[in-house]
Amino acid sequence: VSTTTTATHLGRELRAICGAEYVVEGPPETILGEAPAIAVRPGSADEVAAILHFANEDRLSVVPAGGLTQQHTGSRPPQVDVLLYTSRLTEVEHYDAGDLTIGVGAGWTIGRLSSKVAADNLFFAGDPASPDRATIGGMLATGLYGPHRHGYGGLRDYCIGVRLVTGDGRKAKGGGRVVKNVAGYDMMKLLIGSWGTLGVITSASFKLFPAPRQTQTFVSCFPTAAEALQFRSRILRSPLDPICLELLSPRASAVLTPSSPAAALWSICLRAAGSDAVLARYRAELGSAVTHEIRAENEHGFWDRVADFVPMVQEQYPRSALISMTLPLADLHPVLDEFATVADSNGLTSAAVGRVGVGHLLVGMWTADGANSTSANFVRAVSGLRSTLPRDAGMTVLHCPDEVRAEISAWAAIPTDVKSMRAVKQALDPNNVLNRERFVL
Amino acid sequence: MSLPQVVEQLRKIAGRDAVLDRPEDLMLYEYDAGIRKSTPGAVVFPQTTEQVSQIMKLASAMHMPVVARGAGTGLSGGAISQPGGIVIAFSRMNKILEVDVENQRAVVQPGVVNLQLSEHVSHLGLYFAPDPSSQKACTIGGNVAENSGGPHTLMYGVTVNHVTGLEVVLPSGEIVHFGGKAAESCGYDMTGLFVGSEGTIGIATAITVKLLRKPEKVATLLAIFESVDDAGRTVSAITAAGITPAALEMLDGWTLRTIEAYCHAGYPLDAGAVLLIELDGLREAVEEQAEAVSAVCVQQKAREVRRAKTEEERALLWKGRKTAFGALGRVSPSYYTQDGVVPRSKIAATLQFIGEVSKKYDLIIGNIFHAGDGNLHPLILFDIRFPDQLERALTASEDILQYCIGVGGSITGEHGVGMEKRNLMPVLFTEQDLDVMISLRNAFNGEDVLNPEKLFPTPRMCREVSGPARHPVLAQEGM
Repeated sequence: VSTTTTATHLGRELRAICGAEYVVEGPPETILGEAPAIAVRPGSADEVAAILHFANEDRLSVVPAGGLTQQHTGSRPPQVDVLLYTSRLTEVEHYDAGDLTIGVGAGWTIGRLSSKVAADNLFFAGDPASPDRATIGGMLATGLYGPHRHGYGGLRDYCIGVRLVTGDGRKAKGGGRVVKNVAGYDMMKLLIGSWGTLGVITSASFKLFPAPRQTQTFVSCFPTAAEALQFRSRILRSPLDPICLELLSPRASAVLTPSSPAAALWSICLRAAGSDAVLARYRAELGSAVTHEIRAENEHGFWDRVADFVPMVQEQYPRSALISMTLPLADLHPVLDEFATVADSNGLTSAAVGRVGVGHLLVGMWTADGANSTSANFVRAVSGLRSTLPRDAGMTVLHCPDEVRAEISAWAAIPTDVKSMRAVKQALDPNNVLNRERFVL
Repeated sequence: MSLPQVVEQLRKIAGRDAVLDRPEDLMLYEYDAGIRKSTPGAVVFPQTTEQVSQIMKLASAMHMPVVARGAGTGLSGGAISQPGGIVIAFSRMNKILEVDVENQRAVVQPGVVNLQLSEHVSHLGLYFAPDPSSQKACTIGGNVAENSGGPHTLMYGVTVNHVTGLEVVLPSGEIVHFGGKAAESCGYDMTGLFVGSEGTIGIATAITVKLLRKPEKVATLLAIFESVDDAGRTVSAITAAGITPAALEMLDGWTLRTIEAYCHAGYPLDAGAVLLIELDGLREAVEEQAEAVSAVCVQQKAREVRRAKTEEERALLWKGRKTAFGALGRVSPSYYTQDGVVPRSKIAATLQFIGEVSKKYDLIIGNIFHAGDGNLHPLILFDIRFPDQLERALTASEDILQYCIGVGGSITGEHGVGMEKRNLMPVLFTEQDLDVMISLRNAFNGEDVLNPEKLFPTPRMCREVSGPARHPVLAQEGM
């Protein structure tokens, strides 16, 4: 069977399911350099189920996609038969402003959801990079988040329900639309961070939060990471309860705010919410450590840029590697040191931002000015960092130069039993239809 | 292998004094805090993970049903054995293995009592947030199995939000690790899947939990209302005002009078309902929120809002709430506690419906519950010596849960599905939803050795829900 015939057969099937206007054969976009045979935009969970049922029978390879903001992560798939977009899954399942809950289709962008609930003085805590393109489905599948992770918890804390279609085409759900619910297995947890390998998320429900009436950001600068992290520990031991607590390395500040006066120093950026009296208390507790405060429009812009650290590095330094790490709190300092060392010894410039109150770091490295670093330098730096990671740490290479990708594993240091993970994959996607060979399994 | 031979093997694994098999001993393990009973064939008390693994291997080889048991305080039958099965009781695996202050974590064995952990780390200014009403007795292993909550779930979440890592013995006897001390890990969140799986995937033998810093300030308010309606509306008004209390509990008039007679917490005897509201955090923020909450209560026709002035007063208000179940034991031979959840804006309507159910079945139903997150605990009073009363209580309870599902809610907020609500799972989930969950269970527990006939309905039950049916408990007990 020639490729053309197969593609045509596939096209016919998909057109029958979704309608011709939602099927594109030979689409222009590629997944890590691999051209999909066909792109399809199903309009309902039933259509997703029909596509996956068919794909499962024919053992096709399907890549689920939202806003294409994280498709640069993972290993290059050997073949992509179907690129399955969730962009038409945009119904509102429920929105109960009084209950502080919302359920929307997976194709909603983060930006659209945030604006919708902001109109009712509510706040959606999910804040991955590129909010105007990133979708709800993609955010859950990648498990990525931004600086509000500190004060509002993780996706696993405020995603209260999910609907999905498994790799073998079964429609399923977990949770529901109430904020407290322990009936049945917690499918939300399983899907968050599964990188689209278990099912296609078709909709999800979330807890919302009251929008803070006013916020203020306090920035404190230190000559070394060690001193910045000590200050972080002091805040964690204090009664203060900030909504963001972020570390910026000197180079990260330069990436985010090129004109920043503190560009040579490490900063701890603390965002507090509350009345004048509450903010005054923060000022008193933080004392002389505060170098400057950021307010109003400047403050929003600042935190939006922190959330966009990864795309900003990618844009300024296309030949870069970006890594996400989850760590026990005590390990942040040694890992940051190690990272600087491996980058430096390979002629790479390094930058780091981190949710240092919960143990999440995003690190970037790129060719230093005047240096002539090769792919081998990137490979050595990534492997070097990986080999020194402490127990319980996790590491995901979000982005790296194409020729480096083949030499490294995007996922490293997984504390969870891999055989159990395989058993889960086998149960939900027995024919390995979804994101084949891109993930750890 | 006969049962006595299995018992002999269990003694070889866990020690001669670590197995019970005499009928008079087994009787103590045939029930939990709910209303079901079933006598196990043996109870074994392992002291190490390795022993748990050997017991699992033995049971799997013998196809003998196994259930893990903590303190047996559950309300859904989760820890009740199949007749003649093996109970693995964790009272000898009750050590706090590690307190890691810098990483804000503790590692505990499953038999550690919930409150003991908080007491153990109290001098460090830390505590373990999940606080079921049974926290003086219930174990963290049980909390993990049932994904338990408590009054402070409103702000801090249920057990799964506080567990980052697990050591698990699978039905094969294999010992595996999920997650660790980091808040999130790469790979599938097996920890998240496991917590709340009601002992159907594996048995946790070590649990890594978050420890939180104690808040600087706590304010506890008691808002007194003439009617349940007014109190119910106040709950949504507080939420709508943008305030998330740490806890927001409701007690109706009948319940608070019953409690007051028992423990003299200082509840008003003539009230229609009270809200017990707790705010915690930074001093300045708590003071502002306490004022704002009081204002909302008054606006919603609260007769009076009291605030605990001392730690003793606060403890007394909570004592009333947490000993409610004991108080009820004084006025009724039996009671049945339900665990439905509704969207917060539906609380007032749901309470009205419960009032109608009470009249329809001629049963007293008290209400004491986690109003802030819509988690209702109707307490249905009856006398188990009269089978028709039990039947009415069960039917009334099912009516209430059906109503909860109908308004977009759930059948359990913190007690688990267990034996008691699995017949309702097909109302909440489609056949395919359940099929997917069952395929996950079968990936680990395909022989259904571990806690069989829990959580998921049997195919027979799926059919039963659609038509009028006898409750499975009645059918089982031949009533």
